[in-house]
Amino acid sequence: MKPMPRQVILGVVAGLIVSVWAFPVLWALLTSFKTERDVLAYPPVFVFTPTLANYREVLFGPASILPNLRSSLVVTCSATALTMAFAIPAAYALARLRYPFKRFSGFYVLVTQMLPPVGLVIPYYLALQRLGALDTYSGMITIYLTFSLPFAIWLMVSYFEDVPYEMEEAALLDHAGRWGALWHVVLPQVRGGIAVTTVFVFLNAWNEFMFAVVLGGNTVRPVTVGMFNFISVEQTQWAKVAAGAMVAMAPVILLGLLAQKHIVKGLTVGAVKGGGRR
Amino acid sequence: MNARGSVRLEGVVKRHGETTVLHGVDLEIHAGEFFVLLGPSGSGKTTTLRILAGLEPVSAGSVWLDGEDVTQAEPGARDVAMVFQSYALYPHMTVAENIGFPLKMMKRPAAEIAQAVRAAAARVSIDHLLARRPGQLSGGQQQRVALARAIVRQPCIFLLDEPLSNLDAKLRLETRLELRELQRDLGVTTVYVTHDQEEAMTLADRIAVFIEGRIVQVGTPREVFGRPAQASVAGFIGTPPMNLLPATWHHDAVTVEGSRHPVAASSPASRAVTLGIRPGDLRLQAQGLPAKVLYVEELGDHAILNVQTGPTRLKVKAAGLSPAKEGDTVHLGFAPEAVHLFDPAGGLRLA
Repeated sequence: MKPMPRQVILGVVAGLIVSVWAFPVLWALLTSFKTERDVLAYPPVFVFTPTLANYREVLFGPASILPNLRSSLVVTCSATALTMAFAIPAAYALARLRYPFKRFSGFYVLVTQMLPPVGLVIPYYLALQRLGALDTYSGMITIYLTFSLPFAIWLMVSYFEDVPYEMEEAALLDHAGRWGALWHVVLPQVRGGIAVTTVFVFLNAWNEFMFAVVLGGNTVRPVTVGMFNFISVEQTQWAKVAAGAMVAMAPVILLGLLAQKHIVKGLTVGAVKGGGRR
Repeated sequence: MNARGSVRLEGVVKRHGETTVLHGVDLEIHAGEFFVLLGPSGSGKTTTLRILAGLEPVSAGSVWLDGEDVTQAEPGARDVAMVFQSYALYPHMTVAENIGFPLKMMKRPAAEIAQAVRAAAARVSIDHLLARRPGQLSGGQQQRVALARAIVRQPCIFLLDEPLSNLDAKLRLETRLELRELQRDLGVTTVYVTHDQEEAMTLADRIAVFIEGRIVQVGTPREVFGRPAQASVAGFIGTPPMNLLPATWHHDAVTVEGSRHPVAASSPASRAVTLGIRPGDLRLQAQGLPAKVLYVEELGDHAILNVQTGPTRLKVKAAGLSPAKEGDTVHLGFAPEAVHLFDPAGGLRLA
C-alpha cells in the first residue's frame, strides 16, 4: 500500500525531532571513545581508533565517579521511595474524599510546583545550615522531596480520577472496606500510573544538579556534580566528561526501557476511553 | 430465610447543598418482595437506592433493615448486594475473581469460595466464562457477572440500579424474565430502580412511583395502572401513557369540547377537572367527541392514532389495523368506568 502523504510528513517531522534530540547524545557517545587529542581535532574526526581508556579512567581512576554514582543512587532511591509513599495516599485523598479546603490544598500543591528553584536555593541553604544538615543525605533527600512530592501528587491525582468511583462503591458493598477497596480495586488499576510517576520522579531526582551542587559537598556529591572531577581550571577533559555522562545516563535509560510500555500507556490514559465518571 | 430482608425508610430527606433531592420519603418493603422504584430521571429513585446501600448519607430521617436502625452503618456492615448500572466489574480480575471477591473479603476459605463461585455462575449461565476478564465479555455477559457477584454471598437484599438499561431491546426482554425467575427462586428482597414503566409493571410485586423527590404512589402494578393517585402518575404509566384533557364535571357526566359523556362518579356542583383516559379505553364510534386524525402508527396487532380535539392531542389505541386514515375526522367515546378524574390544581385523584 502506498503510504499516505500525511504519514510521510509525520515521518519526516518525527525523524527531524529524533535527530535533533539524539544528536548531543550520539556526539557524547562518540566523544567518550576518543582520545583527548581526537576530541580537540578540527575539523572533527569521525574515523578514529576507539579507546576504552576514558571509561577505565572514569570508573577506576583516581577521580572515579563510582562514589558519586553511589551518592546519586542513595539520594534518588530514597527520595523516590519516600515521594511515592506519600504521594499515593495524598493523591487518592485529593481525587476522592470530600474535606474542607480541598480546592485550596490542591491549588497549593500546584503553586509550589510553579516556584522557580533558583529562588529557593538560597533559603534552602540557610535553612539547612541552621539545621546543620548541609552536605547530609537526610538534608538532601528532604530538599528533593519538596519538588518531587507536589509533582508526583499532581500526576497521580489524574490516574486516580480515571478509576470510576462506582467500582470503589461496589468494593465497599462487597465488604472490602475503604482500605480493601483501595488495595484490591483502585491500586491495581493505577499500576501504570504509579510506574510512570515513579520513573519521572526518579529521573528528576537523578538529573538534579543545582541543589546538589549548592547544598551538597564532599559527603553528598551526586554524579551530576561528579562530572566536575574532570573539569579543572587548567583544562576540561571532554572525553572523560563524555564517558562519565554515558555511565550516569545508563541507569536512567535502562529504567526508561523497562517502563516504556507503562509510560506510553500512562501518557495516553484518558485520551482513548470515554469519560469514566458520571 | 424469607423472614430476612425487610426495609423501612422513615422521613428520609436528602439535600445536596441548596437543592433538596428527597423531600421526606417513607417506605416499607416486605421481606422477599420484588419492589420497584419507578420514576423519571432526577426523581430521586437512584438516590433512595444509594441511601439503602449506605453509599449516601441521609440529611434527615432513618433507614431500617430487618428492624435494625442502619442509618449510620457503613455499606459493608449492611447485608446488601448491589448491581450497578455500569456493572462496576473489576477489570483487572477474571470473572471468577470478580464473583468471588465479596467472599474473599469476608475471609471465607478458598475451597468454599471456588464452590460458591461455580454455583453462582451456573445460576446465571456464565460458568463457561470464569477464566475471562470483563473486557473480553459482551454487555449481556458482563451484566450476568455483576448479578453473580451479587448473589454469590446470599445477601438479605438485592439492590439493582437500572440493570437492563445498557442491553439491547431483545436481550432486555429475555433478561427481564430471567431476573424475575431468579428472584422468585432465591426469594430475596429485591429493590429495583428503573425509569421504564414496562419493566416496573412486569417485574414488580409492588411499585413506588417517584416524582420530583417524593413518593406519590405505592401499590401493585394493577393498582398503580388502574387507579393512579395523581395525574402525574397517570401521565407516566402505560404504553402510551394516559391521555389527560381539561373537562367540566357535573352530576354524573363530563363535558369535553362540547361533547357530553356519562361517568361512574357524581359531582353535586359543576367543577373543572382533568379527565384521564387510557388510549386503549377510547373507542371510535358514530358520534361523540370529534377529533381529527393527525397521523397513524401502524404496529400490526394494534395501531396508535394521534388525534387532535380542540387544543389537546390524544392517542387512541385501536386493535388490529387502523380503522381511520390521516386527515379523517373521527368520533370518540369511552365507558363511564374507564374514566379517571383529577383535580386540575394539585393533580390529586378525585374519582
